[in-house]
Amino acid sequence: MMSSLIYRHNRITRLTHWINALALLILIMSGLQIFNAYPHLHWGSKAEPEEAFFSIYAADEDGDIHGYTRFLGWRVDTTGILGVQQTDMGPFPRAFPSWITIPGFFWLAGGRRWHFFFAWLFTLNGILYFLYNLGRGHVRKFLFSPYDAGKVLPMILCYLRLRSESPQEGEYNPLQKMAYTGVFFILTPLIVLSGLAMSPQLDVAFNWLPAIFGGRQSARTVHFLLTFFFAFFTFGHIFMVVTTGMINNMRCMVTGWYVEKKLNPEGLKQEQDDFEVKMEDPRNGEK
Amino acid sequence: MERNRLDISRRKILFGALQGAGVLLLSGCENIFNQLHQNRKVLSLLESVEGLNRRLLRFLTGSNKLAQEFSEKDISRTFKPNGNPPPFIMEYVMNAMSGWPSWKLEVGGLVKQPGQFSLNDLKAMPARSQITRHDCVEGWSAIGKWKGVPLTEIMKVVQPDPQAKYVVFYCMDMDTESNNFYESIDMVDALHPQTILAYEMNDQSLPIEHGAPLRLRVETQLGYKMAKYIQRIEFVENFKEIGQGKGGYWEDRGYEWYAGI
Repeated sequence: MMSSLIYRHNRITRLTHWINALALLILIMSGLQIFNAYPHLHWGSKAEPEEAFFSIYAADEDGDIHGYTRFLGWRVDTTGILGVQQTDMGPFPRAFPSWITIPGFFWLAGGRRWHFFFAWLFTLNGILYFLYNLGRGHVRKFLFSPYDAGKVLPMILCYLRLRSESPQEGEYNPLQKMAYTGVFFILTPLIVLSGLAMSPQLDVAFNWLPAIFGGRQSARTVHFLLTFFFAFFTFGHIFMVVTTGMINNMRCMVTGWYVEKKLNPEGLKQEQDDFEVKMEDPRNGEK
Repeated sequence: MERNRLDISRRKILFGALQGAGVLLLSGCENIFNQLHQNRKVLSLLESVEGLNRRLLRFLTGSNKLAQEFSEKDISRTFKPNGNPPPFIMEYVMNAMSGWPSWKLEVGGLVKQPGQFSLNDLKAMPARSQITRHDCVEGWSAIGKWKGVPLTEIMKVVQPDPQAKYVVFYCMDMDTESNNFYESIDMVDALHPQTILAYEMNDQSLPIEHGAPLRLRVETQLGYKMAKYIQRIEFVENFKEIGQGKGGYWEDRGYEWYAGI
């Protein structure tokens, strides 16, 4: 068995990755703080209280307060997690619990400060990553194309150990391409636009902005729900990092260097060609 | 050899970082962010983007764009009246019961012609009617129909001086600690055609809970900017000496002065 070091992530990618991780964490937690100020979801332009299709609330039942989460006609008792939080001073009404919001105490103004600061950081950081890597032709490598669509199922089977060989060509496999393309080109623009659509000033500038989501309250709903797509992506991403050689993966995103094990040098020869070039001049292109 | 040693130290750093991250996430997260939030420097760094928001969004809006206006059928059945309770003082109650006979809007400060306007004076001035969406900082929206005097009509009468940069609205309502409500907007929003002093809501006299007899509508901003129970308007160069100096009741309590987002 042979192994070689390859330089996989350039400086800008590593830097923007970690800034993005921090920004995303704070955006989600401060976003939940903002949501707590009005823990109901609506569709359309306005919010008629009785028309909320989703609510988190607390109800007093014979002196016992319960937290409930309601979606349309279904209601679940979520005391302790959503609606009511157990505190040192007893149960307390609160949609999302303090440990998942920024700041931890109930403070809408504070949540907004964190959210807007990191929204700027998230956006500028994303633009930096994108422009730099677009210029280096890297974005093309994870762009999902119709050609990749046919290889999604074989790749899933490969992950499930139902198929021995990977349909991967190039640096990213078809599922990775699907995930990254989805996050970069669908999820991110949508969550930025739906967030901006909540601004009364921008709605004056562009009357069509809330309209593309079906109204300002719809934009708020879309913004909230997309958060969970980001969370889902992040958990999937962390799961893959941990299960496919955590130390190697983590080191790679910190230092840029990745240890490639060559179990079968003959078979892998051709696919490795791309990497061999980099081995000769690892910092090629980063000057 | 060299690389091995490097690897070990890097591994240590990595494990340390992971451990730190774990601790941060699992237990200390809440406290760390709370402490950061109470740090003056951190807070002013976070607050620094308010100016960016204002400049960028104002730039994108330009000068002559209007907020979307809706139709009668879009008007909300429920329109929450947030904020402080209505003023519970004898003079206010007596006036409200008899059609505001002794209520007068005082307009002064950096103006050439300070003036007083009774409700009838205001109703005799050119009026604007608009069905617009009200966005609360909490997240909800409601649609209402408003009729009132454009602020620019008042400005034509009182003629603000060139050094007047802000319009401050002093209100009759107060919180439980007797802090009076006040708000301020700058000339960009003051001159907007949809910025009106409303005395009617949904074709009725402005209800008590919505700020009778007179409230502000600024359609480019969130609800907390739209002062209710207005008693006095002052044109000023800055608001440093008013209240706690942040430009409004909610601003003094941590909210942004620029509420266009």
